[in-house]
Amino acid sequence: MIFRAVEDTDLISRVCRGDVEAYNLLVSRWEKRVFNYILRLTANQEDALDLSQDVFLKAYQNIRKLDDPARFGPWLYRIAHNEAYSLFRKRRPETVLEDLDADRNPAPGFSVDLSLAVAAALDRLNPEQREAVVLKVYEGFKFDEMAEILGCPVSTVKSRLYTALDLLKRDLAPVDSKRSHRGPAC
Amino acid sequence: MLSSKNSFPCGRADALHDFAFDELPANERQEMEQHIRACGDCALEFDRLRITTSALRILPDREIPQRIAFVSDEVFQPSIWARFWNSGAQLGFASACVLAVALLVSAWRMSVVYHPSPAQPVAHVAASMSPEQIQASIARAVAQTRAEDAKVIQTAVAGVEKRLDAQYRGQMVALQENFDVMRKTALNYEARLGANEFPGAGQ
Repeated sequence: MIFRAVEDTDLISRVCRGDVEAYNLLVSRWEKRVFNYILRLTANQEDALDLSQDVFLKAYQNIRKLDDPARFGPWLYRIAHNEAYSLFRKRRPETVLEDLDADRNPAPGFSVDLSLAVAAALDRLNPEQREAVVLKVYEGFKFDEMAEILGCPVSTVKSRLYTALDLLKRDLAPVDSKRSHRGPAC
Repeated sequence: MLSSKNSFPCGRADALHDFAFDELPANERQEMEQHIRACGDCALEFDRLRITTSALRILPDREIPQRIAFVSDEVFQPSIWARFWNSGAQLGFASACVLAVALLVSAWRMSVVYHPSPAQPVAHVAASMSPEQIQASIARAVAQTRAEDAKVIQTAVAGVEKRLDAQYRGQMVALQENFDVMRKTALNYEARLGANEFPGAGQ
């Protein structure tokens, strides 16, 4: 008997045959990542949870339209991106990040000032730059996958990411230097 | 693209960034590693990128406050027809069944309509007769067929003549009756004219 891990593609084919439990398993694999992605875009936990549920509902309703099950991740994030931007469009731009500080707690094990500085530096980016950083640094997508999610060319993705990193380098440099002077914070 | 890009004398900022994010093709990776060791600007930029991404990663992923799960619901379940339609194997099997039934029906209908008569042992008969006998048989058969045809035609002609004659007689009788009616009417009119029943007619 040969055991092998159940791949997402296996689950997707079962979902296409109407297996809801297979979809729940698929959701359990992706829900945390999708939630954190949306949370980093919206900076609001309730919105992130609501949008995550909407994302998985839409994904279930449209999963038969997924041409290549191996590209489920970018396809799912594309839905999440669209949902987040639909929310942005519904609300005024200034309300998007209003709960930012309330929802971004410092990371345990790191200095409070560094965590807050990183969060603040991210918040100073425009939404497109922030999303590029989130998809690359936190979600680990390749450039072609990011282009698929964001619906723009790879060159645009790289431009947004590298511009964002340039800004972040400048913003975070003093913190790093302060941290190195102070020694380990934890 | 980058503000720092212009400050790279080697002009390899893009490749350096691709290398930092593990997006450089395998055949260029080794070359870039050697370049970073040799180029101070690229080495400094690479270190800054590593520090920046490391700093960004200290923000941890948050746990989702409420797990997402779905229950089976008829609204979201595909219909039986949709499931059947989406199943290629089942659809193929159904198509094969339909084709098989069509073939069976077609074969049955052909067997009902087409009853081939048993083959005549022509060769056997021909072998047992001389050419003169065959010619005589053919002549007899032809004469018999002609006689039958002539009889049929004669019967048909007689029937048509009989029908036309009856039709003619009927028409003549009707004509005679009409003529009688007209004559009676004329006589009646003359009689009434003689009796001066139409006072204004003479004026």
